[in-house]
Amino acid sequence: MIIAEQKPLDEIKSMIADYQKVLILGCGTCVTICFAGGEKEVGILASALRMATRLDGQDKEFIEATVQRQCEYEFNEEVADLVKEADVVLSLACGIGVQTMNEQFPEKLTLPGLNTKFLGQPTEQGVWDERCLACGDCVLYKTGGICPIARCSKSLLNGPCGGSQNGKCEINPEVDCAWQLIYDRLKALGKLDLMMEVKSPKDWSASHAGGPGKIVREDLRL
Amino acid sequence: MNRDENTPGISPMEEMSPPCQVACPLHTDVRGYVAAIARGDFEAAYAIAREPNPLIYVCSHVCAHPCEEECRRGQVDEPVAIAALKRFAAERHDLSLGHGPPKPNVEPKEQKVAIIGAGPAGLTAAYDLARMGYPVTVFEALPEPGGMLRVGLPKYRLPREIIDVDIKGILEADVEIKTNVCIGRDMTLSDLKEQGYEAIFIAIGAQQSRALRIEGMDLDGVLLGVDFLRDVNQGRAVKLGRRVLVIGGGNVAVDVARSAVRQGRPGSEKEVHMICLESREEMPAHEWEIIEAQREGIILHPSLGPKRILGRDGKVVGLETIVCSSVFDSEGRFNPTFVPDSESVIEGDTIILAIGQASDLSFLRPEDGIELTRRRTIKVDPQTLATTAPGIFAGGEVTTGPGSVVGSMALGRRAAISIDTYLRGEDLTGLQFGEWRELDDLPPKTVERIKPLAREPMPMLPLEERAFNYEEVELGYTLAMAMRAAHRCLTCGGGAYVDTGKCAACLTCVRVCPYDVPIIKEGAAFIDPTECQACGVCASECPAKAITMKLYSEDQLYQEIDALFADAPAENPEPLIVGFCCLYCAYAADEWAESVRAQLPPNVRTLDVVCTSRIDIQHLLRAFELGADGVFVAGCVGDECRHTEKAANRIQGKVQFVKEVLDQVGIGSERLSLYDIPSAEWGTVPRIAQEMTERIRALGPNPL
Repeated sequence: MIIAEQKPLDEIKSMIADYQKVLILGCGTCVTICFAGGEKEVGILASALRMATRLDGQDKEFIEATVQRQCEYEFNEEVADLVKEADVVLSLACGIGVQTMNEQFPEKLTLPGLNTKFLGQPTEQGVWDERCLACGDCVLYKTGGICPIARCSKSLLNGPCGGSQNGKCEINPEVDCAWQLIYDRLKALGKLDLMMEVKSPKDWSASHAGGPGKIVREDLRL
Repeated sequence: MNRDENTPGISPMEEMSPPCQVACPLHTDVRGYVAAIARGDFEAAYAIAREPNPLIYVCSHVCAHPCEEECRRGQVDEPVAIAALKRFAAERHDLSLGHGPPKPNVEPKEQKVAIIGAGPAGLTAAYDLARMGYPVTVFEALPEPGGMLRVGLPKYRLPREIIDVDIKGILEADVEIKTNVCIGRDMTLSDLKEQGYEAIFIAIGAQQSRALRIEGMDLDGVLLGVDFLRDVNQGRAVKLGRRVLVIGGGNVAVDVARSAVRQGRPGSEKEVHMICLESREEMPAHEWEIIEAQREGIILHPSLGPKRILGRDGKVVGLETIVCSSVFDSEGRFNPTFVPDSESVIEGDTIILAIGQASDLSFLRPEDGIELTRRRTIKVDPQTLATTAPGIFAGGEVTTGPGSVVGSMALGRRAAISIDTYLRGEDLTGLQFGEWRELDDLPPKTVERIKPLAREPMPMLPLEERAFNYEEVELGYTLAMAMRAAHRCLTCGGGAYVDTGKCAACLTCVRVCPYDVPIIKEGAAFIDPTECQACGVCASECPAKAITMKLYSEDQLYQEIDALFADAPAENPEPLIVGFCCLYCAYAADEWAESVRAQLPPNVRTLDVVCTSRIDIQHLLRAFELGADGVFVAGCVGDECRHTEKAANRIQGKVQFVKEVLDQVGIGSERLSLYDIPSAEWGTVPRIAQEMTERIRALGPNPL
């Protein structure tokens, strides 16, 4: 799922500085689950912004709403009246939602209230870890189900590197070395021979390097 | 037509109801009023308890409280003291606000209704019909209304001024009560019809003691229980001997025996014995009544049948008994068997029979067309309470035999609905009363996690002060006792409900619940109301705001926060401090309720929350937004939390988060403090508030 976090309050304040009536628009899926932009966070941010802008001597009005999925026109249509009423939309969706809103309501600017961080897993309550880089050419079958692209700091296909120390990555002792994890898993599976296979250079054109991704299923189109 | 007996015209709840409410014949919202007491909102508690019950004061003293039998707290330790809490709510109620809700604005109706008997059934029917707009007249044979409440129940259980409070409320609902009018002696049913009463409700109760067909019944010194109680209650002289033998093991027998103990003058030595067929365990009287009888010195002789009354010179000298080996046969019918040659004699000079009551049906005439059952009760349709005579209904003990006050009241209510249906010309056969769906028992895994809390004992008049008087024995709860008693309620079914349309299936509720109740079912969270303990952790943490608490909702909490600021002066010399205090923790200490809060200076305003886990980040921010200069949260130390340590600890993260927001906003994190206070130290809250006031005063006012 998409993991995001709220931008610092000061940055948000400066983004909305020129607007009087702000629609804070949450999204009910990924960003709700990662406590960044669901209905609850919308309420908290509205409260914080009401106080912060009042302290700055501004008289701003904040409207609160949350749609089920901000990356879909149909759901956003439900708040069309609120969008019209507001001077600006502050979206608490991921970057996809923000762009959907800008595209769907071209006459109104939608600002990002979040930084979209990564594709990740909620590994425990309140903790999210990156797990996928959307490379477009999944190698998990070769690496014991642990992704070297997303979880190795260098995205090495043939690791580990010399920076692997006691199972940790040299960039940060808190970060596991993905290749240590891969080695341990393959060993446990009795498939260490996979470590011996030299993986040829990755075709990065399947990922963003090949330009903006697009998938078309003709069978599904209307 | 489907009608709820509780609120005419409204169907019972579709959802599952708490067992206490289902068990109550009037379906009183017990959970609602106990929760209101738990929050300290006593008038709300009264209003909820009063809503279905025009005899609330009477019930608050003498209700047989079938609710407590079903209370799910009983699976953990002992049932919630529901009856005592109702009494507390009634005692706290300001009667100048009225006894009950104002009369609904209904079209006055023409058709007159006559009600025979001003006991619980008759009064309830009369009250309900009057509120529907009917002109109602109650005919009562005795000089005062109340029926057995007044002449049957002993004053040490039900002081007479308590009855008067309820009667006054009923009269205020425009019910006419004609006393000293005995149907059968002064008027007949035909007379009532001739006088234009289009419907009649017979609710004469069961006021005749059943007699025994044994030798010696005619001896001087043999009394009938109901007659004895009536004489005692009406202040007539009753002559009892030194050794009184009460025959019977039911509630009336206990009333007779405990009243007998109270008769006489100090110095007169008296012994009171109770003799009954049933074994001690089988005695039909309420256990708490039997225990109290024993404490008052009454000697029990269970498993004994009366064989004959022994006399000398025409006076009672004793009772010959025979050992009873079983009371009921294999099919559960009353069919006592006795042990041959097991006779013995209990000496005594007065014998009072309390082996059951029957209705005096001598007022019925063949032309009335009212059929009776084989048990000598009036035959009625169990749904509609219609007798075999058109327009004549009957209910209460005259149809059921001896029963409870609240049970008779429920039949009075049912009769009122039937009579209304009948008088509207609608088909009675279509009248159906709704079924109530009841929450199941607590599952064992939940029972295990619920913290046991001792039941608050009812303060009682000391034994030595009970002799030779009819002072009420049960004294009622103090405020602190009531709070503690109310906090034991598990608010069954009043907890978390999920809006599946909003649920993102994020699993937060599944993870944070101290009782492991939520699961994901069909793609959304499902919180089984059978298991939920209404702590509210999930609702306060749900990122989708998909969870609402049925009782004490999020909105209500916001309203209470707003209310704290309603009268805050614009220019306050002292900093305004808002304290969120855990109700459970605070009231675990006696002193909070009555004294600690009173010591708080006017600049400190507290909001009682049912567990700090209910507090949401937005609640804390709201207090600052509304202008609080400082906010504190006072909860328990983890292992004292009623909802387990897991719930208690959730507040820490929220406070930390809000502190960060306050710093970002520019208000400052130092204006928010969290205190973990052991229950024994709640007396320190005023000092904490004082410290906080000084600290915030130094910081200056909330920059907002």
